[in-house]
Amino acid sequence: MAVWRLVPFHRYPPRENMAIDEAIFREVQRSGGPPTIRLYGWLTPAVSIGHFQHIDREIDLEACRKGGVTVVRRPTGGKAVYHDDDLTYAVIARENTSLFPPTILETYMVISQCLAQGLLDLGLEATLAVEGREPGKGSLDASCFSEPSLHELLVKGRKICGSAQMRSRGVFLQQGSLLMSFDPEKICDVMLPHREPRAMQVQFLQEKVTSLNEHLPRSVTRGDVCKSLIEAFQAGWDVLFAEGSLTPEEEKLKDHLLETKYGDLAKED
Amino acid sequence: MKVFPDDLLYSREHVWVRVEGDLATIGITDLAQERLGEVHSIELPEIDSEVERDEPFGAIEAAKGTVELISPLTGNVINVNEDLIDDIGIVNSDPHDTGWMVVVEINDLDELDDLLDSRGYHDFILQEVEGE
Repeated sequence: MAVWRLVPFHRYPPRENMAIDEAIFREVQRSGGPPTIRLYGWLTPAVSIGHFQHIDREIDLEACRKGGVTVVRRPTGGKAVYHDDDLTYAVIARENTSLFPPTILETYMVISQCLAQGLLDLGLEATLAVEGREPGKGSLDASCFSEPSLHELLVKGRKICGSAQMRSRGVFLQQGSLLMSFDPEKICDVMLPHREPRAMQVQFLQEKVTSLNEHLPRSVTRGDVCKSLIEAFQAGWDVLFAEGSLTPEEEKLKDHLLETKYGDLAKED
Repeated sequence: MKVFPDDLLYSREHVWVRVEGDLATIGITDLAQERLGEVHSIELPEIDSEVERDEPFGAIEAAKGTVELISPLTGNVINVNEDLIDDIGIVNSDPHDTGWMVVVEINDLDELDDLLDSRGYHDFILQEVEGE
């Protein structure tokens, strides 16, 4: 049975979260280290934007500064995500193996199936989206949660988890945000365009997006969700997770990436 | 079964190279575009910039994923396919020809020895999963 490294849940500053994920990704590429899954949270509210997104057109940087929201660019693609009360995951592994098919979307499906099983074990039925947004046709343009993509997780037709991927040198990094709770007002504050009337924009998001707290009893903690997801990944992939931390090389690379790449874009503007 | 033209060389990062003298035209293979899915946008280096073998020279965004483009050669970029800005879809529809990405003046022709011919690339693809 293959052994994966599990970096257990912890909250980090937003910039550090991105630097950690990329450091692991680069080290798995370089050294062929073990596939890794990481669960994490955010010490302060943040917006992560996709690698290719135009920040000036899609994020209200002034609102982010006023609201104390850090803006970081993800190494992965996709659209913007507001992080506050979410459970974020990162999966780093070799692509095109017996576990992960060679295409991006098929890899999504393999990961989403485990997430869905983990939620089902908690009593929440989630389904995989059977069709995705067309390029450039998102309804609330910048936000990842405005429309589901193929194989992303839905609960009663509403998106509950958004994910994005990066690939290089035969390794992939998939990051995803599973919403514990959801506040459409906050998303409307920081993402562009600001549509009028605002109440309609908020309502649109309420109709499209949901969160775990809407469906699970209060007695289910974040720790319970982490445990359920971990068990679903292990069973679904027939692998064993061994808890671990970053290697010295990953720590060093993380520090370098923090200095050179992952700034707070709200402050740099 | 994919067809990989005999007049191209291929890297293990699924990038093809067409060599004419000391110039190399570079793009991604039909297999690479298929694995990406529909390509949405691309970042390419500027003319006169340097690219380095085994290092990223750009990135492609497809549906829900970004893929780094790994350079098969070291050299100076002398041309970039600006048609991709107007119609990125040709990366999917014609990857081995009009979907080319950059032309590089090769620094060291010996680097070509590490690339695969079409048969070698075909064999490499078959071995990818077996060798995991």
